[in-house]
Amino acid sequence: MERELIDVDMSMKFDNLSVLEDIKFKVHENEFLVIVGPTGCGKTTLARLLGGLSKPSSGHVTIAGEDVNPKIHNVSFVFQEPSCIPWLTIWDDISMGLEIKGNNPQTAETKARIKEVIKLVGLDGFEEYFPKQISGGMKQRVAIARAYATKPDFLLMDEPFGHLDAQTRYLMQIEIMRIWEREKKTVAYITNNIEEAVYLATRIIVLSKLPARIKAEHSINLPRPRDLTGPDFLRIRAEITEQCEVVG
Amino acid sequence: MTNNYAEKMKTMGLNFFTLAMVLVLWTLIAYWQKSPFFATPYDIVLGFVQMVTVGDVEGYRLWSHMLHSLVRVSAGFAAACLVGIPGGLLLGLYPKIYDRTRILVEPIRFISPIAWIPMAIVLLVGFSRYIFVIWVASFFPIFVSTLWSVRQVNAVYVNVARVAGASRLFIIRKIIFPSILPSVIGGMRISLGISWMCIVAAEMIGGQMVGIGRLILKSAMVTRMDLVVVGMISIGFVGYATNELIIFIEKRIFRWRAAVSIE
Amino acid sequence: MANDKNAGSGKLGTFGYNALALSIFILLWTIVSWISESLFLPTPWTVLKSFLDLCTYGDVEGISLGMHIFKSTLRIFAGFVAACILGIPLGILMGLYPRVYDSTKSVIEPIRFIPPVAWIPLVIVLLVGFSRYAFIIWLGAFFPIFIGTLLSVRSVNPTHIDVPRSFGAKRLYIIRKIVIPSTLPDIFTGMRVGMGIGWDCIMAAEMIGGENEGLGVMILKYAELIRIEDIMVGMIVIGAIGFFINEIFIFVERRVFKWKEAIVIS
Repeated sequence: MERELIDVDMSMKFDNLSVLEDIKFKVHENEFLVIVGPTGCGKTTLARLLGGLSKPSSGHVTIAGEDVNPKIHNVSFVFQEPSCIPWLTIWDDISMGLEIKGNNPQTAETKARIKEVIKLVGLDGFEEYFPKQISGGMKQRVAIARAYATKPDFLLMDEPFGHLDAQTRYLMQIEIMRIWEREKKTVAYITNNIEEAVYLATRIIVLSKLPARIKAEHSINLPRPRDLTGPDFLRIRAEITEQCEVVG
Repeated sequence: MTNNYAEKMKTMGLNFFTLAMVLVLWTLIAYWQKSPFFATPYDIVLGFVQMVTVGDVEGYRLWSHMLHSLVRVSAGFAAACLVGIPGGLLLGLYPKIYDRTRILVEPIRFISPIAWIPMAIVLLVGFSRYIFVIWVASFFPIFVSTLWSVRQVNAVYVNVARVAGASRLFIIRKIIFPSILPSVIGGMRISLGISWMCIVAAEMIGGQMVGIGRLILKSAMVTRMDLVVVGMISIGFVGYATNELIIFIEKRIFRWRAAVSIE
Repeated sequence: MANDKNAGSGKLGTFGYNALALSIFILLWTIVSWISESLFLPTPWTVLKSFLDLCTYGDVEGISLGMHIFKSTLRIFAGFVAACILGIPLGILMGLYPRVYDSTKSVIEPIRFIPPVAWIPLVIVLLVGFSRYAFIIWLGAFFPIFIGTLLSVRSVNPTHIDVPRSFGAKRLYIIRKIVIPSTLPDIFTGMRVGMGIGWDCIMAAEMIGGENEGLGVMILKYAELIRIEDIMVGMIVIGAIGFFINEIFIFVERRVFKWKEAIVIS
């Protein structure tokens, strides 16, 4: 097992509404951790806490022993909502993260990196397009490229394909696996789709309904690329589905 | 919830505080200036009382000024609705007529309604002057918003009705009319705002001695600044009240809409 | 797509019909004014002649049409620029700190509902000359610009703000890269509306304000002389300038905001 990078031990309340209770887990380096839970169980809240966009009401989320803070740590976030900036071209959008992290977007080095990630997500030739000119699947590729560009130590994906149709979603899953195998990263991937979870994950954490607690944990050691209809795949999928549906 | 309530109370308190600060500052500056051109808030209250009980230099009371302005605006505004809504609906349904005669309508749209006042003074007399100016001012926003919203009615809704075998009249009544109403009312609110501005200008320039615009101007002529401010506040109040009335009606009619635009 | 050819000829047809409509209108106008021989209905040719006279000899006081136009536009320009300089930064500031606006509403909102034209008499008493006009225009144009900016800042898509935030961007970077570009179209719309109201205000201010130059006072002068043809010239010039300015705004909007899904024009 690789070393532990992220340590989570916290609860979250909004006013008197308890959203996350005793969430306690660790993320290991180069792991593809998938957090799965029913709709409306506070998954996005958890994602924002992991990315340092908000602070837990008690406990901590640390990265290498320090409270997670995007101003200090190299974390990236892929949002559930369409997040392309309408007034930036694909190129400028992808360079944004690099620029914030202190790279001058005009240097050859930065340009080379942008080119590299654009190629990685298969958007070559679309550099000068505006978001309104490309499809929903391509917009999510932009968001992924933007997140990958900074070579993050920790990459967060909050239902990145939730808005896509089933076909595109399936293709994007294959794509994300291909990218992850090329550029290994520590990933926390949040979804409500169990099949997607089993297809992608090295480890799965199952959340309960509101207030969310950790219900179960699974290590998935199936060989890649995974067969969606293989007996082991179906068994694990059925097991998690059952855990998700049982009340309590 | 409790948090929300506390927040609201705090905002209200801060609002009172700002208002009080402004009034105190205003009074202090007015005292320090000792100028006849600078009425204190207290003078304005006295001016208001005078306007309500005695009336202005010619004996017209505040309610009479307000009533005259209100009647003029209502008449012109109603006339604009009567012509603008059916006209917009008709030309929206037959876009070719509008597209082919645009050249006659569009240029007029860009003439400021206030620029019609001299024309109205020459061609019309008395009450009709005001009605005409208000009509010109409020016609275009109502007409144009009706016309464009008819053109933009979601074709899906129309087709749903058509597939079910609905008659043309049914489609207009049940599909087109409800879907254009929000923008028609939006146009009406814009019109009303412009109307209140134009009535003030028309009353100042036109000849009759009664109307809030005239009250403001004639008070300024005799440097009764307290009455000028009373007039300004009155027109602001009437404008606000009529705007709220339309918003109220809008909310009543459009309970089906997800969100009502609030500005 | 199959109708492309038809659409093309339709467009030409529309243009033709418009020309036809205009000719019929002018013809009818000419005939009616000839028959009626009324002082109140001059023929199109009388209006045209008045226009040329106004350009070359000037009005009853010898002030040329160009001078009136120049004076009005100069006043508008001064007031409008002042409204932008104050309204845009204040709108952005109050949009970023909603508490400031929410706590001063009791002072701002009542002023907003007083029509700018109602300020004219007060301004006549308190200010002199050019500043009178500039102030009224400023007041008329300020609120659409200020409120447009403020509401727009408040409605910036939160995800767009989260994107740079998730990389740890500083506040100033987010304002510069996200808030301002996202509000720019609404600022522009506010400016266009403000400019329109500015034109209404300058007309009223010139009619009431007492100076001899300006398009507003020009048409009022001719109203006193019952010279309809000169009033018409003034109104047509006012309409043409209004149209021209509006077109400039639309042109710039189309150019600058290529990224927008669709631009609503009204």
